[in-house]
Amino acid sequence: MPTADWLELLQFPFMQRALLAGLFSGGLGGLLGSVAVLRQLSFFSDALGHSALLGISLGVLLGVEPTVVLIPFAVLFALLVGQLVERSRLPSDALLNIVYSSSLAIAVVVLRLVSSRAGSLEQLLFGDILGVSWRDVTLQGVLLLAVLAYLLLTRRSQILVSLDAGLAVSQGVAVAWQRLVFVVVLAVVVALSIKAVGVLLISAFVVIPACAARLLARGFGGYVALASGLGAGCGVLGLLASGLLNLPSGPCVVIVQLLVFLAALLISANPAAAAARARWRGRAG
Amino acid sequence: MVETVLEVSGLTVGRQGEPAVENVSFSLAAETDTALVGPNGAGKSTLVQALLGILPRQAGEVRVLGAPLSPGGRLPAAVRAQVAYLPQQVVVKGRFPLTVAEFVALGWEPSGLRLPWSHRTAREAAVQMALARTGCTDLADRLISALSTGQWKRVLLAFCVVWPRKLLVLDEAQAGLDPQAAEQFHSLLFDLRRSEGWAVLQISHDLDMVRRTCDRVICLNRSLRCVGSPDHALSPAQLERLYGRAYVPYHHHHSRAHG
Repeated sequence: MPTADWLELLQFPFMQRALLAGLFSGGLGGLLGSVAVLRQLSFFSDALGHSALLGISLGVLLGVEPTVVLIPFAVLFALLVGQLVERSRLPSDALLNIVYSSSLAIAVVVLRLVSSRAGSLEQLLFGDILGVSWRDVTLQGVLLLAVLAYLLLTRRSQILVSLDAGLAVSQGVAVAWQRLVFVVVLAVVVALSIKAVGVLLISAFVVIPACAARLLARGFGGYVALASGLGAGCGVLGLLASGLLNLPSGPCVVIVQLLVFLAALLISANPAAAAARARWRGRAG
Repeated sequence: MVETVLEVSGLTVGRQGEPAVENVSFSLAAETDTALVGPNGAGKSTLVQALLGILPRQAGEVRVLGAPLSPGGRLPAAVRAQVAYLPQQVVVKGRFPLTVAEFVALGWEPSGLRLPWSHRTAREAAVQMALARTGCTDLADRLISALSTGQWKRVLLAFCVVWPRKLLVLDEAQAGLDPQAAEQFHSLLFDLRRSEGWAVLQISHDLDMVRRTCDRVICLNRSLRCVGSPDHALSPAQLERLYGRAYVPYHHHHSRAHG
């Protein structure tokens, strides 16, 4: 690919919006994902992503702009599913599978019946950089700052709840409340990232950068920072690739995330690399 | 008069619809070390989790340092900060990117919203001290997911002692400790009681240890069976009542092996 091509591409406002969306939603996914993965909420974020399509189809059905419906829908959905998982006697992975496959099934059928935009289904499923507006990008930026503040202020509770609920309660953490708020924040992040990323792959944004960071990081602050940084970096690179190659944006980002994850796997499994890191740490410290 | 740290009256706790603990009443004074003993399934862990607010209770009242535990399991933050709990087991699944020093620091921070870097100097000094007191200094940079069971127990104890407390609740804290670590553990508990006035409530199956180190024993088998000094509560007659006849020969064999 000649250099001029992508420089030219960067001058289009849609591409600038897309890159910012990649930066923000990738960063958000990594940031929140670092805690979500420790909480074992990977499947839950998958269910949230799939349900977003149900929210969109509801919007289409009601004749309302989907983004308006999406956030309240996602929050409500997250709370209901959270309760379902907590109260049910079935294991959560099985339950969440039922939730996300049926959400997807209902949504696809509704969209086919109601809307004539059959072609847009693929964009909803896999993300569409042309669909990102300045309003979306601004909202994502604001949300990124809000989530950062939220995690910094509740860091202690987040870690204790992830480790052991009993220990957290004994230290005065309102565990049920903390879980509820986290799930709501996750739902809002998913709802706001869905346009650029697509319904099917949004959970990868939450899971993959965080897992790569989890393999490498030594301490908690470093872990969260690395997960956010990797998420943001993969988001930008993936969307750039999507624009250049005219491919769907969600899969492009996820492929970049996969490459980063594989690199993390190699580094963490390689004793020589680990030793080099330790030497470097020693010098830095 | 010695300060009352914990008062439990008429506590009843259910688990899956069945009463697991019924109508239990006792109190703990400062500077005492009380053992909670009883057979498996007697409700010991259920009892301590209910009085900490981890499990909901069906009836009864719990007061910690005079403050009532709310039906939802809440205590005023200032009281809560003076309580520490060492659970039987903390299962860490997969690599958990948190170092021992970072974990112990979580025990220091008083509850509430707080930026991670606030009070850093005081906190780090307290962490160093707690690690040293529990023999965990060389584990400071280790990830918590890379600890053995015995190391975890010591690290959890460091978490408990990093902040001044009045009540320490231990759920089989000694299980998994090697003899040297167990000895260090007891002398630390003794020290905390004498010099800082902590009250300790510990679930234990090691009756020899209980005889040597505790000054009071509570026997539980769903309801309270006896409360008293180790000599009284762990006498053969009481043990037979608590554990059943089959226990006694096992116990004799056990003490001979150690004697």
